[in-house]
Amino acid sequence: MALSAPSVFALADIIETPSRPTDLAPQSLLNDATIAGDRIVATGERGHIIYSDDEGQTWEQGQVPVSVTMTGIDFGTEQHGWAVGHSGVVLHSGDAGETWELQLTGIEAAKLAIETKQEQIAELEEQIEEAPEEEKADLEWALDDLFFTMGNLEADLDVGPVNPLLDVWFENENHGFVVGAYGMILRTTDGGETWRDWSARIDNPQSFHLNSITQVTGGAIVIVGEAGNIHVSVDGGDTWERRESPYSGSLFGVIGTGEANEMLAFGLRGNKMLSTDLGQSWEMIPNDAGATLNSGMVADDGRITLVGNGGAVLLSTDGGESFRPYFRDDRESVMAVVPVSGTNLLIVGEGGVKFTDARGKNLQ
Amino acid sequence: MSNPKHDKGEHYLTTPKAEPFLERLIFNNRAIILIAFFFLTLFLGYNAIKIQPDASFERMIPLEHPYIVNMLDHRDDLENLGNFVRIAVEVKEGDIFTQEYMETLKQITDEVFYLNGVDRSGLKSLWTSNVRWVEVTEQGFQGGTVIPDGYDGSRDSLEALRQNVLRSNEVGRLISDNFRSTIVYAPLYENNPETGEPLDYGSFSRQLEEKIRDKYGANNPNIEIHIVGFAKKVGDLIEGIGAIAYFAGITILLTTLLLYGYSRCISGTLVPVFSSIVAVFWQLGILKLLGYGLDPYSVLVPFLVFAIGISHGVQVVNAMAIEASKGFDPITAARLAFRALYIPGMLALISDAFGFLTLLFIQIDVIKDLAVAAGLGVAIVIITNLVLHPLIMSYIGITKGGVRHVQSHGEKQDRKWRVMSYFAHPGVAPVSLLIAVIGLGVGLYYKQGLKVGDLDQGAPELRADSRYNKDNAYIINNYSTSADVLVVMVKTPEEQCTQYNVLRAMDSLQWELQNTPGVQSSASLADVSKIVTKALNEGNWNWYEISRNQTIINASIREAPAGLINTNCDLTPVLVFLEDHKAETLQTVVDRVEEFAENNSNEEHTFLLAAGNAGVEAATNEVISSAKNMMLAFVYGVVSFLCLLTFRSIRAVICIVTPLGLTSILCEAIMATSGIGIKVATLPVIALGVGIGVDYGIYIYTKLEKFILEGKALQEAYYETLRSTGKAVIFTGVTLGLGVVTWIFSPIKFQADMGFLLFFMFLWNMVGAIWLLPALARFLLRPDHMLAKARSKE
Repeated sequence: MALSAPSVFALADIIETPSRPTDLAPQSLLNDATIAGDRIVATGERGHIIYSDDEGQTWEQGQVPVSVTMTGIDFGTEQHGWAVGHSGVVLHSGDAGETWELQLTGIEAAKLAIETKQEQIAELEEQIEEAPEEEKADLEWALDDLFFTMGNLEADLDVGPVNPLLDVWFENENHGFVVGAYGMILRTTDGGETWRDWSARIDNPQSFHLNSITQVTGGAIVIVGEAGNIHVSVDGGDTWERRESPYSGSLFGVIGTGEANEMLAFGLRGNKMLSTDLGQSWEMIPNDAGATLNSGMVADDGRITLVGNGGAVLLSTDGGESFRPYFRDDRESVMAVVPVSGTNLLIVGEGGVKFTDARGKNLQ
Repeated sequence: MSNPKHDKGEHYLTTPKAEPFLERLIFNNRAIILIAFFFLTLFLGYNAIKIQPDASFERMIPLEHPYIVNMLDHRDDLENLGNFVRIAVEVKEGDIFTQEYMETLKQITDEVFYLNGVDRSGLKSLWTSNVRWVEVTEQGFQGGTVIPDGYDGSRDSLEALRQNVLRSNEVGRLISDNFRSTIVYAPLYENNPETGEPLDYGSFSRQLEEKIRDKYGANNPNIEIHIVGFAKKVGDLIEGIGAIAYFAGITILLTTLLLYGYSRCISGTLVPVFSSIVAVFWQLGILKLLGYGLDPYSVLVPFLVFAIGISHGVQVVNAMAIEASKGFDPITAARLAFRALYIPGMLALISDAFGFLTLLFIQIDVIKDLAVAAGLGVAIVIITNLVLHPLIMSYIGITKGGVRHVQSHGEKQDRKWRVMSYFAHPGVAPVSLLIAVIGLGVGLYYKQGLKVGDLDQGAPELRADSRYNKDNAYIINNYSTSADVLVVMVKTPEEQCTQYNVLRAMDSLQWELQNTPGVQSSASLADVSKIVTKALNEGNWNWYEISRNQTIINASIREAPAGLINTNCDLTPVLVFLEDHKAETLQTVVDRVEEFAENNSNEEHTFLLAAGNAGVEAATNEVISSAKNMMLAFVYGVVSFLCLLTFRSIRAVICIVTPLGLTSILCEAIMATSGIGIKVATLPVIALGVGIGVDYGIYIYTKLEKFILEGKALQEAYYETLRSTGKAVIFTGVTLGLGVVTWIFSPIKFQADMGFLLFFMFLWNMVGAIWLLPALARFLLRPDHMLAKARSKE
């Protein structure tokens, strides 16, 4: 790996430092969790990736080649999973989370993004040449924006892999997306062997953070992000369309409700909204709790659970029309939730893994 | 052999040829010497009264240990970390969200604000404006004081308060997890910024008691006050030193009664007590003139001086009574007593003094002070006891009752001594030795559990059930905090302490340590940076990481707590919170840090151990454990050498020193089983116990040798030994024991430990000398050889 670590630095850079095996991993910050077959896999700070085959009773720690704070994890198949995090790292596991290899870092991601910008600039310059006089001024503005963005990317690259990836979604063992800070988005169709910068396909000229990506029932892929950014693709990710959001604050998560083309987006200060038409229109859902919402899930019986900061656990039994808020006693932030037996939940977050009832009350 | 003392078969102790020079010098100038003593005592007594309690932190730590050197080098940079008090205001019924509670808390906050020594700008409580809640909104941050605007104690404003508290991030820090108490946090000035005077811990602690605890806790059944912090602990220690005065009174009273029971003579009782008190005044006066104060360790030395003075004074009274019973007048009796005693007395006292001086090898000032104070005290006892005491007695004389007591009592006790002389019997001695060997085995077995350092939770200086430690336990149980903190100092070039590589290295060290057994948690600028970076990114935990972007790091630590960055930004600490301060815990953690520092220090950052109470304890433990064996070797070496010099026989040395060794081992076994570690307080006990304990052996062996040389069989010689000196030896043991036994009730834990162990050593060394010495003599001494050798010299 061609990493420009300062030579005086005795400790290896954290993207070259394998995550330390430790009993503390299940009690440390975990930012995301997912299900791979019968296995629960969660990831968090210091490169921790842990997995459990008994609904979270006992945990094993996967072998991870980096020690960065990880932010997202998703499995395309029961065996093949990807995890993303700070320094733009993308990790891949072909054995259901037990061992992980580094596929991409922020350095390559930034280089890919710079290439994209260069292509866009070249394209735009051509366009300007051919454009009628009255359109030129606008195009020149857009060109300036592109130069500015590229300048930022180049400056960041001088420092190193500064920006984090924030979420990952894989359709199968080949095709997937990773999204992240400052509008980062990359796509692979060969299981992560090669990546393509996809930022040119997203209408995000101000490079807002892209916080979350998921696929909803019916096949559409949705991305939400900073400043009410919502992007939807109905052709498997090739092209993306921006949707208007009734809420202009940050959205941290989006999930399908289980009904075709229905989805819930949520974020800062407990704002949440429901769309039944792939984001063409949104209905704001009453907000009783006020705590920032980070993630959510739909159980087999249709219950929807959202989790968030300050120990917030919100429960809907009417398909997301309304939620009852509960707050956990420890008030620690919850970053993700996965269903386990009965109506119980396994939540992860600030304080690690917790096994709870449907209202987020600790069971152990 | 060229020992002049053995020439012509005269024993050097009992049959001097003529009045020695010293005796003439002293007894021919009685009045002048007494007047000189009088004025000297007035002068030194005046100074003694002025001596001040002094619990200086620096004197209790090994100043030359590299950890401490590092700590003191960077003391100014670390100042704000350590010195504060936390006052937890607990409500007994209900929770803190009531009008009454908040009103009380407000009054307490105001009261603390006006206490002398409090750094008002750093004062924190629910009522201070620096305690805020913050929330992320679409527009950025929004926040306010935890006390809602327009607070009026109504139900609505109390509910608003509860909401603010929940989002304030202070639960576990300023507000207890169960909402039954909150903390008033008061950082203190080490020196008053206006006058430059150092903080008076004693008076500050008293003010806390009077103005806070008594005023608000005692008068309100629903409120309880808990106070912790270094200043409070030191204040309690100073209070504890004051309690010693009562012990002194009790000790003097008990000793006087005992002495009267022994001598049945008013003058034979009061004069030794008086001269011993004079010795104490001299000792304190000289210490004061030398610039010493009374720390919690050296405050015990006057007790030792007093007890040693009494125990040797008894010998003078005893000798005078015997001479008086032969019909001599007071002055002649006093001269004869002086003549008989000045050599063995000086020998015993000098060996005491040398025993104490071995403590000078330990590089901790309080122990050195203790050595100086005790050595000085013993030197003074030589003067008061061998000069002042006989001189006063030469004017007063022994009362008739005292003389009669000597004459009649000797006969009555003969049967008892007869029975005890069987310790030297060939049938009994092997049994004694067997018991001693078993005792040795048991001692060695239990001694394995002996630990270095302080073993109890909380403030080890104070008792587990002391007010301070109860308060400490309350705060530990109800707040997220640990009392045992190790501080690793991270040194960087100037203005570089916030660089990415520095934070990253600190973070690596922290994770290494958090994965070390005994470490609870850790904190540093790296944590601040991660937490604030998260907060700046809309409170999203996905951003909980040290940014590689220096601009973001700088923004994240802009409001870092004082004490995490020094003024030059070339030092930043890593705080490591430990589960306890057991020696193994400290050692494990310190070893890990040293290994890490070794591998990862470079020009960008060096890792230095250590500050914090755990750092100091780790250094102290290291010094103590390396000094322990050296000190033992020295004290036994000195004692053996002095005995060899006196008795010219290795066999004699073995007879005298073996019982001491057994006592030392049993003492360590007792320490192990009763949970007393080897520490600053208990290390001197061994030197003191051995140095003083050897006196018994010297007195007994001197007599035993004398009677053997008179041609008596061993058991008979031992019977005569017991008759002439047994009572005095037993009395000495009991006096010394009494002198220290009151310390067991000291509010200061280590004083109690010292008292308990010294009590054991003084008594058990006495038992060893009376019981084991003759048994050893049965196997080791060859009276025929000794006689033949003595005769061959004639």
